[in-house]
Amino acid sequence: MKTRRLIVLVAVVICLLTAIPGIAQGKVKLTVWGRDVLDDDPAHVSVAALVKGFEAKYPDIDVEWVALGDPGLMDKTKIQMAVGSGLPDIFQTWGGTTMGSYADKGMLLDLTAELKNIPGSAAAASAMTWKGRIYGVAPFFAVAGIFLNEGLFKANGISTKFASVDDLERAAAALKAAGVQPFACGAKDKWPPLAMYMYLTNRYGGDIFTQAAARKARFDADPFVKAATLYQNWVKKGFLGDKPLGEGYGDAQQLMATGRAALHVTGSWMCAQYSSADFTDQNLGFYAFPTIPGGKGKVTDVMGMPDIAYAATKEAASKKAAAVKFLTYAMSTEAGQADPGRIASMPGVISKSNLTKMAVAVFGQSKTVQFWWDQNLPAAITTPLNETIQTFFLPETNVKASLAKYEELAAANIK
Amino acid sequence: MQDSNRTASFSGVRAQALAPGLPRARRKTDLRRIIFITLMLLPAFAALGVFMYYPIEETFRLSLNKASGLGDTEYVGLANYLQLFANEEFRAGFINVLLWAFWSVVVQIPLAFFVAFSLTNYKNRVTRPLRAIYYLANILPSAITAMLGSLVFGNTNGVISSLARNLNITWLMKVDFLGDMRLAFMTVFIVGTWTYSGFYIVYLMARMEQIPTEIREAAHLDGADGWLYARTIVLPMVWYPLRIIAVLCVVGSMKVFDLPFLMTRGGPADATKTLGIILYNRGFRDAQYGLAAAVGVVIFALSLVFTIFQFSLQRRGGDIE
Repeated sequence: MKTRRLIVLVAVVICLLTAIPGIAQGKVKLTVWGRDVLDDDPAHVSVAALVKGFEAKYPDIDVEWVALGDPGLMDKTKIQMAVGSGLPDIFQTWGGTTMGSYADKGMLLDLTAELKNIPGSAAAASAMTWKGRIYGVAPFFAVAGIFLNEGLFKANGISTKFASVDDLERAAAALKAAGVQPFACGAKDKWPPLAMYMYLTNRYGGDIFTQAAARKARFDADPFVKAATLYQNWVKKGFLGDKPLGEGYGDAQQLMATGRAALHVTGSWMCAQYSSADFTDQNLGFYAFPTIPGGKGKVTDVMGMPDIAYAATKEAASKKAAAVKFLTYAMSTEAGQADPGRIASMPGVISKSNLTKMAVAVFGQSKTVQFWWDQNLPAAITTPLNETIQTFFLPETNVKASLAKYEELAAANIK
Repeated sequence: MQDSNRTASFSGVRAQALAPGLPRARRKTDLRRIIFITLMLLPAFAALGVFMYYPIEETFRLSLNKASGLGDTEYVGLANYLQLFANEEFRAGFINVLLWAFWSVVVQIPLAFFVAFSLTNYKNRVTRPLRAIYYLANILPSAITAMLGSLVFGNTNGVISSLARNLNITWLMKVDFLGDMRLAFMTVFIVGTWTYSGFYIVYLMARMEQIPTEIREAAHLDGADGWLYARTIVLPMVWYPLRIIAVLCVVGSMKVFDLPFLMTRGGPADATKTLGIILYNRGFRDAQYGLAAAVGVVIFALSLVFTIFQFSLQRRGGDIE
C-alpha cells in the first residue's frame, strides 16, 4: 500500500515538473518589454530576429517579448518604475534623462563591468551611460537628417547640394513653385517638428541647447528665437504644406512615399521604409542638415538618439548572467545585420540599402552628437517643449513670447 | 416600499438581537443572521473600498503633493491647484470641456430627439436597420471611431480632402479640418456627436415606444400629426429622460479624452485640449503626478456637482421620493 502511494506521489511530481518546462529543463525566463510586435514589418524585422536568434543560440533561456506599442511602452515603463514593482527584466528605452531618472531611483541594474568592453559606437554607449555607470546597450542609433526625393529634385532641375540653409530655402521655394510640397513634417503629432527645430537652433547657436539645459543660457536666447522665427516664416511661406497642423507623422510618410512632398527632416529610423519597394516607388536620399551663414553650428553637429536600445532593471538581478547574454547578443554583428535599414552601433554590419549607407555616412562624419532634446530634458518639460514648437506653426504666435513661457517652465523644473 | 420594509425588518432584527430579555436561542439565531448578512456585504464593501474610495482618497492626497513618482513626495498644500488655475493650458482645457458640454446639450439632444422620433413614428423597412446603424458608433471602440473620423477629415488621404482634390473644389481643398484652430474643435465634436448620439437615440426611443397607442390615436383624431404631435405630445412625455440625458452629456463632457486625444492630441496648440488630455500629459508623459491628481480632483468635483444636479432633477421629476 505504502509503495503504491509512493509511486503515485512520484508520478504526480514528474507530471508537475514536465508541465512547467522552465523548471524541468532548468530554463531561465527573461521578460522583455519592447515597442514593436515581432512580425515581418521592415521596422520590426530586427527585434523579431533578435529574439529568434537569441533563443536559438541560448536554448536554456526563454524570452517573453511583450510588445507595448507607442506610447504604451514609455507610459507603462514610467508608471511601473514609479510604483517600483511589476517591472520586466529588460526594457526597450531611448536612454538619456528618462533612463537616468530610473537609475537614480535604483530601479536599474548597473552592468558597467559586464558591458564596458562591448565594441560599439561611442555615441550609442554614451546614451546608455548615466553618471558614469552603464545600464544597457543601444544596438541601433538614429541620427536626424534630410530625406530628399532625388527624382523630384532632378525633375525640377534643383541641386541636392546645400552649402547652407539659404540653398535649402531656395530649393523649397522652387519646389513650391513647381507644385510640390517642400517639407513633409507631421506637426499634428507634436513631436516631429522638433527634428528641424533642433537643427535650426544648433546652426544658429552651436551648443546653445546644452547650455540652456545646464541653465547656463535661456531657452528664449537669440538662437532659439531666430530658429523659431525662420521656422515660422517657412510655415507662412507654405514650405510645410497648406495644412501643416492637420498632417500627422504617418501622413508625412505617405506624402514622401507618393512623391507629393520632397523633403523630410526626421530620424534615420525611416531608412527601412523609405528604401522599401513595398512602401515607396520614389528614389530617396539622406543628407546632413546644412549650416547657416554666420551661425555657430557645424555640418558635423548631428542630432541623434538610440534607435533601439535596451536596459536591465533590478528585476534581472537574480538572472544577471542571462540578461547580460541578451544585451551582449543584441550588440552582436549577427543581430545587427538583421535590420534592413537602421544604423547599427556595432562594428562589422554592412548596410543593406543605399539610403542607410548615406545615413551611416552622415553619422560617420559627425564630430558632435547632440541627443534629441526631448530625451535630454527632465520629463516634466518634454511635452511642453513639443507643444511650444507646434505653436510656431500658427501664424499669430509670437515665438519669443512662446519661448519665454517655456523658459519659465524650464527654470522651475531644471535643478 | 418593499425596500423600506426590508430595512425596517432588518433594523427590527438588530434591535431584537440586542434587546435583553429575549430567549437565548433566538438571540443566537439573530446574531447569526447579522453575521451572515455582514459577511455577504463585506466583499462589496471591500471591493468598493479598495477600487473606489481608496483611489479617490489617494488622488486627493496626491493632489496636495509634488510627486514625480521617482523620488520623495513633497507636501505643497494647494500649490498644484493654484498652478493649474494660473496655467493657460488648463484654462483652455477647462473652457473646452464646458464648450463640449454646451454643444452636446444644444446639438446632440435635439438631434437624438429628432432621430428617435422619426424612427419610432415612421416604422418601415428602412428605419429598422437604421436603429442599429445609429447605435453602431456607440458600441465601436473609440479608437475606431477616431480613426474613421480622421479618415473622413484628414487632410492628406481624408475622404473630404480627396474628394475636393478629385473634383477640383479649390476652397474645400484648402480647408484644414483638424489643423485649423477655428475648425479642429468642431470637427472633433462632430465625430463625438456621431459616436455618442446613438445611446441617446436608443434611450429616447425606449421611452417614446412606451407612449400608449390611445394617446397617439387621440392626438391623430385631434389633428396633431408630425411635428405638432412631436412638439405637443411626445416632447412633454420624454421631458424627464431628456433632462437625464442632458446631465449625462454634461458629466461625460467633463471627462472627454479619447476622441480629441486620438484625433488631434489636443492640438493645434490648445484648441482641442480637454481636462482628460491635460491629466494624461501631466501624469503619464511628464511624470507630474501631483499636478495630474489635481486635474483629476477638478474633474471629479465638476462631475460631482453635475451628478448632484442630476439627482435633484430626478427628485423634482418624481423618480426618487
